[in-house]
Amino acid sequence: MARLFRFLEKKRGTRRTGSNLAGSVGEALFFGALFLLGVGTLSSLLGPHDPGTYDWGKGGWLLILVAASFAIMGGAGLIWTAMRVGVSAERRSVMARTATELDPLSDTLSTAPEYPGLPELSGLINSPGVELSYRLPQTESAGWRLLASTVFALIWNAVACVITVWAIRGHLSGQGDWLFTLFLFPFVAIGGWSVYYLLRLIVIHTGMGPTTVEVSDLPLHAGREYRVAVWQQGHIRVFSFEVCLVCEEEATYHQGTDCRTEVREVFRRVVFEQADFLIEPIQPFQCTFLLTIPADAMHSFQGLHNSVQWRLVVRGSAEGWPEFRRAFPLVVYPGAATSQLKASPPAVRTPLIPYTPAMNGGTNQGAIINGALAATRVRA
Amino acid sequence: MKGTSLTEEPLLSICLGGSRKHYSAGEELIVEYQIDAIDVTDIQAVEASVLWLTEGKGEEDLGVHFFERRLPADAEEGDLRPLRRFKIMLPNSPLSYEGAIMRIRWCVRLRLFARRGKEYVLEHGFTLGSVPPAPVPPPEQATDED
Repeated sequence: MARLFRFLEKKRGTRRTGSNLAGSVGEALFFGALFLLGVGTLSSLLGPHDPGTYDWGKGGWLLILVAASFAIMGGAGLIWTAMRVGVSAERRSVMARTATELDPLSDTLSTAPEYPGLPELSGLINSPGVELSYRLPQTESAGWRLLASTVFALIWNAVACVITVWAIRGHLSGQGDWLFTLFLFPFVAIGGWSVYYLLRLIVIHTGMGPTTVEVSDLPLHAGREYRVAVWQQGHIRVFSFEVCLVCEEEATYHQGTDCRTEVREVFRRVVFEQADFLIEPIQPFQCTFLLTIPADAMHSFQGLHNSVQWRLVVRGSAEGWPEFRRAFPLVVYPGAATSQLKASPPAVRTPLIPYTPAMNGGTNQGAIINGALAATRVRA
Repeated sequence: MKGTSLTEEPLLSICLGGSRKHYSAGEELIVEYQIDAIDVTDIQAVEASVLWLTEGKGEEDLGVHFFERRLPADAEEGDLRPLRRFKIMLPNSPLSYEGAIMRIRWCVRLRLFARRGKEYVLEHGFTLGSVPPAPVPPPEQATDED
């Protein structure tokens, strides 16, 4: 019955809750109408041959541009909709995969990866380590934040300086605008805050020094043990320093015009910790320890919108400094324990490790349809 | 007019060999499917696929491991309804997973294209591997990108 009252369907990202056929027809009508509107407006504008109509400032060219964009968007949308009619998501996926796997310099298709759905290793294994096999790249580089903050502070304060001079000159000449001067105060305050933030970042960036992490092998396999070496440079007294093995789920979705990314930590284990020590410029802190990936851990996963990411996270707090956190990506392959079936698969949600924060209700809905035979009457 | 009236929906059925719900990575999967309660002339095409898809907070990701599309011209006497069987080797990954904000689900999907643009879909899920479900901690962070 509910279907009868669904005049407007809800679209969750690329998924529709209503009929695909009705959705396609609606899209085709919309783009067709847009195309006709554009073409009709263009023809009516270009019909009367009065050269004066297109002079700058009279709006003629602007109308032509708007009408042309309507015609282009409508036409392209109509072609896109027509191409997707009657083609299933599975077929489109296969066609897209075949197209990407086709090597233009070869007559044959490239072989399928041994572990599909896992992230690429190429970005991790291209940097050899000094003590162990691979040096890990840092996922959250402070350099970009520093650059962005510098650019913002420069532009904002340049504008603030210009309008301050402007306001002062106005007051000196006896033509001061007090409303404009009042507006100036928050503007200058934001400029001051941006300089403070930039200086703080520079101090953190230079004072803490870089963190280097190396691992004995890549990719990591669940259930196996690896050696990890960490170096921390700087000139500082450290109150606490820890290295954690972390697994996070990341999901990206559209909400209106926003693209939102939600990250949920599902595993955390402290693999190394030390407290109260001094790092000297000539003697960086170094530690080596063994890292065991849990045998029943979920492997790394990389989809277009969803991923499971393993990381080594270095965290520390030091005297007179804000807490710092640096993350280094890992790629974990499935282990023998999870690739093969167990005698009795778990029926309840049991955590990999006891999770410290209080747990709340899950967001997962539905269940896998299991059974020897599925037979039903279904509507698309 | 020849053919069934499509007010009555066709019967699609999928059967996994050995009546099993759980499979190991790299194991052989035998699939049988059949179509009934529809006239032979009403079937335009049938697609069978073995795929994984994600569910949860994020938008859906989909990976097709096996895909076959059959037209009446591909079948004996142009009839796509009789029982069809195929065997595939399952991949090493991604394994079935029930996470906190996402899950990875494997299934066999049968899609029937009927006349007048109507489509009928049946899915039969199964589990690949034996990854235990993740704990459900509280939300940590969400970021906006316009």
